[in-house]
Amino acid sequence: MTLKTGIALCGFGVLLLSFCTKNEPALFEKPANFPAPTYKFAENPLTADGVALGKMLFYDALLSKDNTISCGSCHQLSAGFTQHGHALSHGINDLLTKRNSMPLFNLAWSTDFGWDGGVHHLDLFPLVPLQNPSEMDETLADVLEKLRKTNQYPPLFTRAFGSPEINTERFLKALSQFMLTMVSADSRYDKAMRNEGVTLTEAEQEGLALVRQKCGNCHTGELFTDNKFRNNGLKRELNTDEGRYDITLLNEDRFRFKVPGLRNLAVTAPYMHDGRLETLEAVLDHYSSGVEDSPTLDPLLKQNGRLGIALTADEKSKILAFLQTLNDDTFLKNNRFAEFGLPEKPQQGSMATIDWSKVDLTLTNPVLKTSFDKVMGYYRDMLNGLLAEDGATVKQSALRMLNILKNVDRSQMTEQQRAFYALVYEDLGFDTEHVGETGLIAHQRDHFGDLSKNLYRLVKAFHLNKKPLYYHFCPKAVYNQGGYWLTETADSKGNPFFGKHDEACGTISHVVLE
Amino acid sequence: MHKTSYNHNPMKTILLFVASILVAMNTVAQKTGSVEIQFDNVVGNQDLVLKDKTYTNANGDEFAVSLFQYYVSNFRLTRKDGSEYVVPQDESYFLIREQRPETQRIVLKNIPKGTYVGVSFVIGVDSLRSASDVSRRQGCLDVGGEGKDMYWAWNSGYIFVKMEGRSPQVPMTGNRKDLVFMYHIGLFGGMGDKKTLNNIKAANLSFGADKVRVKTDDITRIGIKTDASKLLNGSTNVSIAANPSVMGGPYSKHIADNYATMFSYDGLKKELPAGKGAGVVGMNE
Ligand code: HEC
Ligand code: HEC
Repeated sequence: MTLKTGIALCGFGVLLLSFCTKNEPALFEKPANFPAPTYKFAENPLTADGVALGKMLFYDALLSKDNTISCGSCHQLSAGFTQHGHALSHGINDLLTKRNSMPLFNLAWSTDFGWDGGVHHLDLFPLVPLQNPSEMDETLADVLEKLRKTNQYPPLFTRAFGSPEINTERFLKALSQFMLTMVSADSRYDKAMRNEGVTLTEAEQEGLALVRQKCGNCHTGELFTDNKFRNNGLKRELNTDEGRYDITLLNEDRFRFKVPGLRNLAVTAPYMHDGRLETLEAVLDHYSSGVEDSPTLDPLLKQNGRLGIALTADEKSKILAFLQTLNDDTFLKNNRFAEFGLPEKPQQGSMATIDWSKVDLTLTNPVLKTSFDKVMGYYRDMLNGLLAEDGATVKQSALRMLNILKNVDRSQMTEQQRAFYALVYEDLGFDTEHVGETGLIAHQRDHFGDLSKNLYRLVKAFHLNKKPLYYHFCPKAVYNQGGYWLTETADSKGNPFFGKHDEACGTISHVVLE
Repeated sequence: MHKTSYNHNPMKTILLFVASILVAMNTVAQKTGSVEIQFDNVVGNQDLVLKDKTYTNANGDEFAVSLFQYYVSNFRLTRKDGSEYVVPQDESYFLIREQRPETQRIVLKNIPKGTYVGVSFVIGVDSLRSASDVSRRQGCLDVGGEGKDMYWAWNSGYIFVKMEGRSPQVPMTGNRKDLVFMYHIGLFGGMGDKKTLNNIKAANLSFGADKVRVKTDDITRIGIKTDASKLLNGSTNVSIAANPSVMGGPYSKHIADNYATMFSYDGLKKELPAGKGAGVVGMNE
C-alpha cells in the first residue's frame, strides 16, 4: 500500500486540492504498477460521503421490487464481488440470469461493461440489473421514489451532494463512487512488481512468463485484459448466448465475450460468461484440448493448424502456481467494502477501544437464540460429515449455516452485539462460504479450523450453549498451522482434519460452560 | 471543507457566470421571439386514436395502436439565404407522447426575429448526447424520470421511436400470449470504433409557400404531422405477421428507414384552445 501514489486523484486539479491536502487515506489511488484509469473522475469526483452513500445503496435490498435483493446479493466481497458458487447468478424469485455474475474490482480501468460490453459507462451499469426482470425487477424511477420516502437517505444525499434532492445522476454517481474505490492491487504479484519485498518463486516466475507468452495477447498487461471482445472457443452447443453480437449485430462478433482479467480467480469460480468451468484446471484443459473451431474463433487460438494452446502438464502447473499469486487477500478481506464492515479500527468511535472480553454480550432474544441453535445444529452436521469424509454433507451443512449467519436479524441485537457480530462474521462468514463452495474435503478442512475458532468466539461471547462445549485443538492440522473444533462431549470423536486416517492429536484447550 | 459539493463547484460557478453574460448579450444584441411546434400524430390521412380504432398497413395487415411516442431533438431553423439558426442543444430535446397531449406542443425560445423557410431536426437522440455523462441527461432524457420507458439499459441507449399495439396478424407462437406487436427502435451507432447500428434519422421540412415570421416577443405557431403508419410503410412494407416485435435486432434498420419520412409540415397554426397542451416536456423541465 505504501508505495502507491495518490496522483490519480490529486491530478484532477483544483477541485480536489483541498481534498488532497487533507491527511486522510485517499479514496482512490492508482497503484504504481497500473496504467492511468479510464474513468473520468473529473465528472464524478469522489468524496468520503459520496462513497459511503454508494456503499449504503449497494447493500440495500430496497433497490429490488420485493426488497429482497441488493447488488451485494450477486456481488459478494469474499468472492471478489461475484456470486459465490453460482454459474448463472440468482436474482429475484430465484430466477436465473442469463450469465455468470462478474467480479467487481478495478472497474476504473474498464471501458465497456457486462460480458457483451453493451454498457459503455460504469455510471449507467446499475440500470441493467434494476430493469432486468430476472435480477431486481424494478425501475430506477420507482427506486428513487422509495429512497425519497425514507428517513435516512435524504440527509445522506445532502452530505454527499449538498442538498437532499434524490435524482438519477446522484444515485448513479454515488454507486459508481463506491465501486470505483474497489481496487485490487495488493496480490503477491503486485508486491513483487512494485518491489515491496516479495519475490515470486521460480515456478511462479516461469508461470508468469508462460502467461505473458501464451495468454498475454488477450489477458494483457497489469489488468490481464486487453478490454476487447473475443471468442475463446467454448463449445457452442452448451449455450446459445451470442454475446457481443447482440449488441453490434455484426456477424464477426458472434460468440465473442469480453476478455476478463485474471485477478482473484481463487474465489471467483465458476469461470466463463456462463460459469461452465468449475476449476482452473478445467480452464487450462479447455485451452489445451477443448477449443472448438468456429467462424469467429479468435485466430490466436488457431495457429499453425492447431486448435487451442499447446500446454504440457508441467507448464499447466506453473501457470496455476502463477495465477495463485494474483489473489489479493488484502482486498478480499477489506472492511471498507464489506456489507457490515466496521469502519477502520481507529475510526470505530465508541467501539474502537472496547475490550470485548469485558463486555456482557449475552444474547437473550428468543428469535436470535433459535437462529443460532440452528447454526450449532448445522455445525454438528458439518463436523460429522468431515469425520465421515462426506464432502457433500459438509458442503450442504455449510451452505445452510451460512444462510442463517448471513440473514440473522441484526436489528434485534444491541449495538454492542451488532458490532461484535460484524467483527466475527467477517471471518466466520468467509470460512463458512469456503467450506460450502466445494465438496472437496481437503479444501473444506483448510477452512474448518478457522470457522470453528470464530464460532467459538461467538458462542462464548453470546452465551449460546446450554450444555458445556469442548474446544479441541490439533497442532498438526492444516499443514501444521493447527486447527480447532467444537464438540458436545469431552471425547473428541475422532479428528475432523484427518478423518478416517485419524491422527490422534487433539487436545481439549477450553471448555465453554453455560 | 474537503467535500466537493455540487453547489460549491467553482468551475460550475464560472461556467454559469459566463453563460449568463452570453444570455445577457444575446438579449441586448438581438430581438427574439418563440416558435411553437404543434405535433399532430396521425395514421395516413386519419387521426391517430389509441386502442379503439383499427387501421390497415400497406401489407394489408390490420392494426390498432396502444402507444406511440418518440424523441425529436437538435432543432434548426433555415432562413431564405440558406443560413440556419441552431437552437442551443440543451434546450433542444423533446419527447412527444400520444398519450400526453401536453407533450405534443413544444416551444423553441429565443429565436432571432426574421423569416424562416424550413425546420430540420433529429429523430431520436444524437450520438454525442447518447454517449454523454449522466449529468447531461436531464428532463426528458432522465432515465430515472421522464425518459424511463425510452431507454435500454443492457445496450445503453435511448429508444428513439416506440409504437405498440394489437393486430390479428400477430402469430401466437413461442410464449406469446397476446396479439401484441412492439416496435422499439433505437441504437445510436456505438462508441468510437465500437460500431453498432445507427438508427438516428434527420427530418428536413420546408415551409413551402408559407412565410414563417418570428417577431420580437411574440409566438409563431406551426404544425407538424407525424404519420405513425410510416413505421410500417415505405421502402420496406412491414408484415406484422413476420415481424411482430422489433427491438435491437437487425430488422430495426428497415423501420428506421421508414420512419425517416414520417414527419410533414402542416401549415401555420393558431393558439391551441386551453386544455390542449398545458406544458412542455423538454430538457430543461
Ligand atoms: C441477480 C444478480 C445480480 C444483481 C442483483 C446485480 N448484478 Fe451486477 N452483474 C450480474 C451479472 C450476471 C453480470 C454480468 C452481466 C452480463 O454480462 O450480462 C453483472 C455485471 C455487473 C457489472 C459489470 C462488471 C464488468 O466488469 O463489466 C457491474 C458494474 C455490476 N454488475 C454492478 C451491479 C450493481 C451496481 C448492482 C446493484 C444495482 C448489481 N450489479 C446487481 C449479476 C447481478
Ligand atoms: C484469444 C484470446 C485468449 C487467449 C489466448 C486466452 N484467453 Fe482466457 N479468456 C478469453 C476470453 C474471451 C474469455 C471469456 C470467455 C467467455 O466467457 O465466453 C476468457 C476467459 C478466461 C478465464 C475465465 C475468467 C473468469 O473470470 O471467468 C480464465 C481463467 C482464462 N481465460 C485464463 C486463460 C489462460 C490461463 C490463458 C493462457 C493459457 C488464456 N486464458 C488464453 C480470451 C483468451
